[in-house]
Amino acid sequence: MATDKELNDFLEGVERRAFKQAAYAVRKDEAALDIVQDAMIKLAEKYGDKPAAELPMLFQRILQTTILDYFRREKVRNTWISLFGGLGRREDDDEDFDILESYEAEEGTTVAESSADQVERAETLRLIEEEIQKLPTRQREAFLMRYWQDMDVAETAEAMGCSEGSVKTHCSRATHALAKALEAKGIKL
Amino acid sequence: MNTDDINLAYKIRHALNDTLDELPASTTERLAAARAQALARKKADAKVAPQQTTQHKPTQRRPSFALSGFAAVFSTPWAARAVAVVPLVAMVAGLVGVYQHQQEQRVAELAELDAAVLSDDLPLTAYTDHGFNAYLVQQQQNLQQPQRAQ
Repeated sequence: MATDKELNDFLEGVERRAFKQAAYAVRKDEAALDIVQDAMIKLAEKYGDKPAAELPMLFQRILQTTILDYFRREKVRNTWISLFGGLGRREDDDEDFDILESYEAEEGTTVAESSADQVERAETLRLIEEEIQKLPTRQREAFLMRYWQDMDVAETAEAMGCSEGSVKTHCSRATHALAKALEAKGIKL
Repeated sequence: MNTDDINLAYKIRHALNDTLDELPASTTERLAAARAQALARKKADAKVAPQQTTQHKPTQRRPSFALSGFAAVFSTPWAARAVAVVPLVAMVAGLVGVYQHQQEQRVAELAELDAAVLSDDLPLTAYTDHGFNAYLVQQQQNLQQPQRAQ
């Protein structure tokens, strides 16, 4: 059974990546924060007594389910909004929200790099994230779990509810798509 | 995947890790608060479970969750879910009852009609006979004429 400290350390290590992962999927920071909070609470409440080694896979599975639930709720909400669309405008409509605006606001803090380097680096990161957002959902999930969350093929397959072969295929396609897109934009890593 | 692909994947991972350090303070604070909340609600082992549940009960509400009221209904124990299901079951039972009642009424009406036709003095074929129809119309007219004369 995971101790409080083990669970805390695990969540601390994974929370930022989980937030970004959710933000790539839903493209709204507030919603991504709610999703991560919900996933954390579900993990602690239902699987807090599981061994620490099982937590990464369980958390990923919960995170993916919570993201899916968000889309389901959005679908229902959008149906109602379209039904009563003529009655008023949505005030929280933030289609133009850019997930990377917050990073740009933080730019001036790095003193070691020149301004030109900072701008170039930020632009590269922005393009990489943009291309990751553009990936098909399953490819993005597989890619991020395998190469960002340090999960092996078997864990990723279990978290995604598919075969190991499918995980390999998704990862391979995602990597090729990213390589092609970044090359087309002249980005060399 | 070949080595180049794997190298690229790890370079992208490195780039993504760089973005994590640049998250705004408000986001990292919110994540830390969410983590603290999750730890407070951690599933405990049998010995400490009662103490923890009473201790953390007042802080168990999740702030700013879009559909907290709706979600709360479905995260409660099975008894609460059953309460939500009762109106649905009642509605389905009501609809089935109305359908059955209507069917029975229809059958009774048809039976009544059949009985009336079959127990009539006239045979069924009389209603399809045009000559008989003409006879009935004429009879009706003959009955009406003396009434007008009077």
